[in-house]
Amino acid sequence: MSTEQSTTDFPTTEELSGPLLTVKDLRTTFSTPRGDLTAVDGVSLELGRGETLGIVGESGSGKTVLSRSIMGLLPRSKTTQTGSILFEGTEIVGAEDAVLRDIWGAKIAMVFQDPMTSLNPVVRIQRQITESLRLHTSMDKAEAKATAISLLGQVGIPSPAERVRAYPFQLSGGMRQRVTIAIALACSPRLLLADEPTTGLDVTVQAQILDLLSSLQAERHMAVILVTHDLGVVATRTDRIAVMYAGHIVEMASTKRLFASMAMPYTQALLRSTPRISDPSHTRLTAIDGRPPDLINPPTGCAFAPRCTYATDQCRTEAPPLRTAPEDPTHLFACWNPLQTGHAGSVTTSKGEN
Amino acid sequence: MAKFLLKRLLALVGILFLVSLGIFMLVHLLPGDPTTTILGPNDTAHNRAVLMQQLGLNKPIWTQYFLWLGNVLHGNLGQSFITHQTVTSTLANAFPIDLELIVISQIVALGVAIPLAIASAKKPNGLLDRVSTTTSFAMLALPPFIIIVFAVLIFSIHFHVFPGPGSYVPFTQNPISNLHTMILPSLVLAIGSVVIYFRLLRGDLITTLQEEFIVMARSKGLSNRYIMWRHALRPSSLSLLAAAGLNIGGLVAGAFVVEFLLAIPGLGYALVNSIQQVDYLAVQGITLFVAVVVVVLNFIIDFLFTIVDPRIARE
Amino acid sequence: MSSTTDAAPTSESLAGTPAAPKEKSALGKIFWISIIWIGLVFLLAIVASWIGLDDPNNGNFALINSSPSWSHPFGTDDLGRDILSRVIYGARVSLIVGFGAMAIGMGLGGTLGMIAAYRRGAVDTLVSAASYVMLAFPALVAVIAIVAFWGHDIWKITIIVGIASTPLVYRVVRAATLSYATREFVTAAKAQGATDTRILTRELLPNVLPTIISYFLIGVATVIILEGALAFLGLSVPAPTASWGNMINESRTYLSDNPWLALFPSMAMFLFLIALNLVGDVLRQSFDVQESKL
Repeated sequence: MSTEQSTTDFPTTEELSGPLLTVKDLRTTFSTPRGDLTAVDGVSLELGRGETLGIVGESGSGKTVLSRSIMGLLPRSKTTQTGSILFEGTEIVGAEDAVLRDIWGAKIAMVFQDPMTSLNPVVRIQRQITESLRLHTSMDKAEAKATAISLLGQVGIPSPAERVRAYPFQLSGGMRQRVTIAIALACSPRLLLADEPTTGLDVTVQAQILDLLSSLQAERHMAVILVTHDLGVVATRTDRIAVMYAGHIVEMASTKRLFASMAMPYTQALLRSTPRISDPSHTRLTAIDGRPPDLINPPTGCAFAPRCTYATDQCRTEAPPLRTAPEDPTHLFACWNPLQTGHAGSVTTSKGEN
Repeated sequence: MAKFLLKRLLALVGILFLVSLGIFMLVHLLPGDPTTTILGPNDTAHNRAVLMQQLGLNKPIWTQYFLWLGNVLHGNLGQSFITHQTVTSTLANAFPIDLELIVISQIVALGVAIPLAIASAKKPNGLLDRVSTTTSFAMLALPPFIIIVFAVLIFSIHFHVFPGPGSYVPFTQNPISNLHTMILPSLVLAIGSVVIYFRLLRGDLITTLQEEFIVMARSKGLSNRYIMWRHALRPSSLSLLAAAGLNIGGLVAGAFVVEFLLAIPGLGYALVNSIQQVDYLAVQGITLFVAVVVVVLNFIIDFLFTIVDPRIARE
Repeated sequence: MSSTTDAAPTSESLAGTPAAPKEKSALGKIFWISIIWIGLVFLLAIVASWIGLDDPNNGNFALINSSPSWSHPFGTDDLGRDILSRVIYGARVSLIVGFGAMAIGMGLGGTLGMIAAYRRGAVDTLVSAASYVMLAFPALVAVIAIVAFWGHDIWKITIIVGIASTPLVYRVVRAATLSYATREFVTAAKAQGATDTRILTRELLPNVLPTIISYFLIGVATVIILEGALAFLGLSVPAPTASWGNMINESRTYLSDNPWLALFPSMAMFLFLIALNLVGDVLRQSFDVQESKL
């Protein structure tokens, strides 16, 4: 059922074999009354076709801003972006609106966190899907409707032919999120950005939605960037993971490698703070002590130093650069005292020792 | 949805009955004596008593009410004993005039307010926005009578663009002249409406434009224009709709100042005259008519509500 | 979607067009100017008799319809009365009717609204139904009818308009109280054994008061306009008493001869109304945060 896209620019063979997305030294700054807030501070990454990248971090780490920056979706005024975002050969940073609008929906699509607010409450589901189709393809009304029904079926909505005329409030939370996925996939984009797609859904529904995303992605050979605060979500569904803190990527590696030999104390702390179903009941929730730094006046040195028990004086004065691990050049981390060097103890958690 | 509307309908009918009662009581419990108007102040008490009996005004008040109500439900609003015109014919003559005023003024008002609100909401606190907001705010402090006084001064006396008071010509007689006389009052009424509509719509649009579904719409590649008209406008129109209902309802008889000042024989004008002449039947009839119109209007607005925002009907 | 903004977007919650900033500093100045102006009008109206103004009701026939001059800064009207003096005395009418009527409306409607919202049940249903009926009634008509028949002196007008404004005030106060009455601090107070009166006055009233005040001022503005409309029907305070409405009405006949007649009372009314609306609006914006989303 792939839709025909009337793309006027087929990717060159070179582009086809190269990475889909290349981000180089992206910096996004907002000017606020209190000063300039740098939400994304020098991020670089690459994504190949069909690859899944997980971006993990606490609230305030910059992960949502990063995903929206990659798409170019941030508001224009009081926002400065430097660096480069190359998507299939097109530069996103500083691109004209018209260029971006051709890409949005057709080549890059986003699934938002809260389907209650991301769907227009007074517009029927059908139009919310078909408007994208009719904009980017040459379908007429009937074809678009048929495609919409088919899409709803693919995302697992029962009786799609009836449901398509419904309004968002007539569906449950899980179904609404499936609809947003259907909308995002309508024009078969090459890259899907999923920003906390399951936060706010029932736990039982979360797994379903994530599985749905994985299977749809495999079918379409679509690249996915999965943004979340939950390491558990990305553990089994991603090829690579990037950990963000205070606007920086502090660790990036293939998923296997990350869980096997993580380098950052922060990553370890994140993992520890994820509650597990297998824990005995009444296990206390661990949290990382302290709070994320103020992004308007970031501290010198490593941003995580105030909360890290490994922290040395060097950590507090000099920000560690992103380095490659000697054993695996695809594993990047930014730490003066990475975990493999065998430090005992752990980051202070409110539960106590490890 | 049908159930919802049915409930509303029943409630409104109930309200109408109570309103008719209120009107009747109000008019009859006030001091004021129609016999003075008919016979003049110097006639004898005996003649007054006779007249009162002829007019049926000496019966117990409840009897009078039910007699009147009965007549009304048969379509008979009575015949004014002062002007000797049936109230129905008074209404039939006066109402279309108000209708014309309302239609013209609201078309102008919406035609100005909606685009202005949209343009302002696109750039909050931009130049256009600030100018529009300040101007509309200032207009709040300019009641119709002030505007009319100065409008007449400038346009009728100094520049002779519009005819002055007392020059009303019915539409059927001469459409061009008619429109000529109606422009000034319509514009004056439109000003008040524009202020209300603009502020409401602009505020709601700005709020709506911050919603997540607008970002979602952008992320599909839709143009700004499409997003504004087909995603933002509808959820923002609820307050506007409610205000329009209230406003138009208020205009039906409330345009009286404008009518009075320019001697346009609309409902307001007729009503004020009847009050001054203690013309019971006319006052009751006109007021009841206005109430019915307002109530029907509210009903229509409620219906439109459910179309604009389908969430409402599921109450 | 282009827009100007300065709302600080948090990194996790970026919506579409960012909010319009509240220009607090510029509005602050105008706000205070308005307050001062309102205070000034009050002051002048109160001390009018003691500041040596010309008699507002008796004029000097030799000076009919004169233009502004040193002895008559606003000129004189068609009966030779000093317009400046009339404008100041006329303020009294607007102030009494405006604030008086709203005080009645707030007193009656406000109390009823709070009680109805708090108690709910039969009281609420009945009174609310009654208010719906009253609101369906063309209020203007009622006011005109009653004033025409009962008499139009300043106190009667104030009372009538006050009562007429009650249903609307009732609705507004009831809605505002409702949003607080269901909250937990009220339940907590009840659990501690507080009497209803105490809850109403100590817990609910302070929360509803800001809303009341802002709508109060806007209501005063509406009433002042209403007085003007009544004047045009000859139903405001009887001649020769000066009121802004009366003066504007009287000016119509002499418009071509003496435009000053129309200008000064109109300006006075205009400026006062703007001040009222401004202060009311600013107050409403600062306190309306909870109400705006339904």
